[in-house]
Amino acid sequence: MSMKRGSVPLRWIAVPVVGLMLFAACGESGVGQAPESAQGGGGESRICMMPKLVGIPYFNASQKGAEEAAEELGVDLTYDGPTEAKAALQVQMIEQFIQQGCQAITVAANDPNALAPAMKKAMDADIRTGAWDADVAPDAREVFVNQATFQAIGYALVDIMAEQTGGKGEFLVVTGSLTAPNQNAWLKEMKERMADKYPDMHVASLEPGEEDLQLGIDVTTDYLRANPDTAGVFGITSVALPGAAEAVEQLGLDGKVAVTGLSTPNDNKQYIDAGVIEKFVLWNPIDLGYLAVHVANAQIEGKMPESGTFEAGRLGKVKMLAPDEVLLGPPVIFTEQNINDYNF
Amino acid sequence: MPAGVRTLLLRPEAPALIFLVLLAIVLAFTAEGFLDPANLEDNIARVVVLGVIALGVNQVVLSGEIDISVGSMLGLCAFAVGAVGESQGGLILPLLAGIGTGVVAGSVNGALVTLGRIPSIIVTLGMLYALRGMILVITGGRWITNIPSDTRALGLQSVAGVSVPVIILVVLLVVVELISRNSTWGRNVFAVGGNRRAARFAGLSAGRTRFLAFVLVGVLTGIAAAIYVGRAGGVQTNAGQGLELQVVAAVVVGGTSISGGRGSSVAAITGAVLIGVILNGLVLLDVPAEWQSAMLGALILLAISTDALRRRLLREQPS
Amino acid sequence: MISAAVPRRLKLSRELVLLAILVALVIALSLMSPVFLTISNFLNTSRFFVEIGLVALGMTLIIITGGIDLSVGAGLGLVSVALGFTFKAGLPLPLALFLGVGVGLAGGYFNSLFITKLDLHPLVVTLGTLALYRGLALGLSRADAVSNFPGWFAYFGQFYLGAVPGQLIVFIVAVAIVWVLLARTRYGRYVYAIGNNEQAAHFSGVPVARVKTALYVGTGLLVALAAIIYTSRVSTARADSGTGLELDVISAVVLGGASIYGGSGTIAGTVLGVVIIATLRNGLTLAAVATTYQVLILGLLLIVAVFLNEFFRKTEE
Repeated sequence: MSMKRGSVPLRWIAVPVVGLMLFAACGESGVGQAPESAQGGGGESRICMMPKLVGIPYFNASQKGAEEAAEELGVDLTYDGPTEAKAALQVQMIEQFIQQGCQAITVAANDPNALAPAMKKAMDADIRTGAWDADVAPDAREVFVNQATFQAIGYALVDIMAEQTGGKGEFLVVTGSLTAPNQNAWLKEMKERMADKYPDMHVASLEPGEEDLQLGIDVTTDYLRANPDTAGVFGITSVALPGAAEAVEQLGLDGKVAVTGLSTPNDNKQYIDAGVIEKFVLWNPIDLGYLAVHVANAQIEGKMPESGTFEAGRLGKVKMLAPDEVLLGPPVIFTEQNINDYNF
Repeated sequence: MPAGVRTLLLRPEAPALIFLVLLAIVLAFTAEGFLDPANLEDNIARVVVLGVIALGVNQVVLSGEIDISVGSMLGLCAFAVGAVGESQGGLILPLLAGIGTGVVAGSVNGALVTLGRIPSIIVTLGMLYALRGMILVITGGRWITNIPSDTRALGLQSVAGVSVPVIILVVLLVVVELISRNSTWGRNVFAVGGNRRAARFAGLSAGRTRFLAFVLVGVLTGIAAAIYVGRAGGVQTNAGQGLELQVVAAVVVGGTSISGGRGSSVAAITGAVLIGVILNGLVLLDVPAEWQSAMLGALILLAISTDALRRRLLREQPS
Repeated sequence: MISAAVPRRLKLSRELVLLAILVALVIALSLMSPVFLTISNFLNTSRFFVEIGLVALGMTLIIITGGIDLSVGAGLGLVSVALGFTFKAGLPLPLALFLGVGVGLAGGYFNSLFITKLDLHPLVVTLGTLALYRGLALGLSRADAVSNFPGWFAYFGQFYLGAVPGQLIVFIVAVAIVWVLLARTRYGRYVYAIGNNEQAAHFSGVPVARVKTALYVGTGLLVALAAIIYTSRVSTARADSGTGLELDVISAVVLGGASIYGGSGTIAGTVLGVVIIATLRNGLTLAAVATTYQVLILGLLLIVAVFLNEFFRKTEE
């Protein structure tokens, strides 16, 4: 029982002090910041909405749109998701959404099938179910809010690249993880478009950037060094595109190697300004979040149409692609002319 | 065995160095473009962030502790660099902000390990989560882009044809190695890591020695953050994720003993460069992306197995 | 007699601290969310910690010997891919499941070869196999996913006995077996002996290499079990399954009081550690605390809990 009297108090002090420092450090931005639920006050219906992950600009933008719609409609909105894009964590959160008494659950799925059992459980609990941004298995949700068809995106990307490279050449595609379902579906459409319309264009290689900016830069640099006759690079995630553009700029290949892809305007403005990227593609994630909440609300009220068009607040009438699929619209193509009109 | 060979083999970094040379020879014959000077420099430039941090973590490992918080720490420091660079511009202020953030985080690690007497793997595992949480909370998920080019100087510029990151890495390697060999603190690190109780009897302050090692990781992570921001041109909320395992891999693959007391700064850098060369070679050889991680794992296992071989040759006791 | 009785009482006190933390958490969280303190919620939560819990049992024993296994998450991914893709290639699912178990065992055995035959540190070895197993999973699956399993496969991860999830029963059985093994058998004493002083254990006749091999292989078996439950629960086999599992598992084990330096740790402590982390995550989500804060809170909790634990350990000495 020999407590060394000299050292013990010091130890006791060290930990709480350090703990306090940590809390103080983040206190500024508000630990007390209210979580995203319990707004609207009326407490009429509660919509629980899950992005693939939280803490990235793209899904922050859709949150903005979702909150706007929730306020308009006077519904409670819970917008939360895992901090890493993992399907298993989403499964867990869906089950907790069910416990929380949500009337509607709508998710952007990291894996279409992995989320299916949990979503079916929500259906069994008489909760309206939906997907947005990235679909779950069709039998595990009632409706999918599609931002743009895979075909529209894939074709637009290839057409833009063809314009800049004269419709021929070998291309590198930088993706997220190799298992990302949306990216793989776009890639399939891209290859189809090349085979159909531009027989001289080929995807020579696919490299994963793992949603890591530096890794995206490194794999692009390596590849372009080993294959200097590459005509262009597609960056098909919001991180892969600025990474690919940065690599091309650092190698001094701008103008020689064309770059395009899918990403958010704020993160690529500098490359548009520098002329590394001429055009790139996306949809408006704010509108997507806005539409997803309108759809979920219509589901709760039983007013979802089966065909024709769906009336979504300020977006006006949007098209029903199928009885269980709403389409936001054609993709947005960002250029030097319009990029300053968007802020996300 | 000739005495010279024996002396060479006795160096902790010897197996990794031999392995690196063999790998480079193989790649020179098989991978087109590997010997291209620009590619060789790229090999080093890409592992600069990894290498600079590994220099610090190497000292922590030598002192018998470990630091696996560096992935999140790099992210937080990079945000400090990026945010100050975005609002103030210039190089010095952002760099100081990065180093300052690193020093605070490193001191927290060091204080909890030495004063709180919590095992370092727990402290730094907890900090790995806590610092990543802080990044998400403070930034609210906003990324930093459009960083002015003078803030990016450490990542982009080159002097006399050699890129600045590579120069920084070499300079830091020399500085840390000199401190490690010649200063009292440097020698204490080896003593404390080799046998803490004996070191304490010899009158060394084990606590202070280890505390400073953790602070050094903070300083170096701050510098690495400035290079990271310079090279990447932006900071995301997941910046540095997973880096902690790569850093530990670099240190131990290089030849520093994970139980402390044996190793060198050269070992840490050798390990980092080895990982960089493997990754580069896999892309140059057109190994399909799905198989790259498996090849990396296999080569790491092969590299560390050469250490066992070396011990057999020297009939040395396992460290 | 006294020297034998004292440590037991003190060990109990350490677990009591954890229990107190758990009770305090439950009270705080049930004040924050009305649905938290319900039996259905508890049973439901248990479905999410079983995979971590199973692997944590093996990890506890490994950590007691002074070792560590970082490859468990990658191993889970590899087993999941092995069973999913051989099934897709036409192997009957029961055989594919056995193959998955075989892959888990082989993964553990491969780790132990480097550790016992080459005398390499487990941290270094399993860092390498982490990359290797994850890479094999990615390569073999070509980064694709398999999900069209027959209906009965759901049994492993989605079965309920009344209101009790099937995997909770599996977990309880596994806990009982490992507990008996560690606390009541000669084998358990060997595990502690190796952790306290490997060389002394060796000289007093403990078959150190055999015990270690058994531990890593046994953990491989638990990883395979967890992988089957996981694959069934999400009805998908893909290479990135189990990413980061190793950190969750190690957090739970050290929170449960096992010393990373080896020589101490209990199954009861580990189970408490697993339950505390799961309860915290579940409760905070139900109380609508944004996940970004949860990461921060989890990190701080880990440090504070281990600090308290070490504090008690030190004052006992």
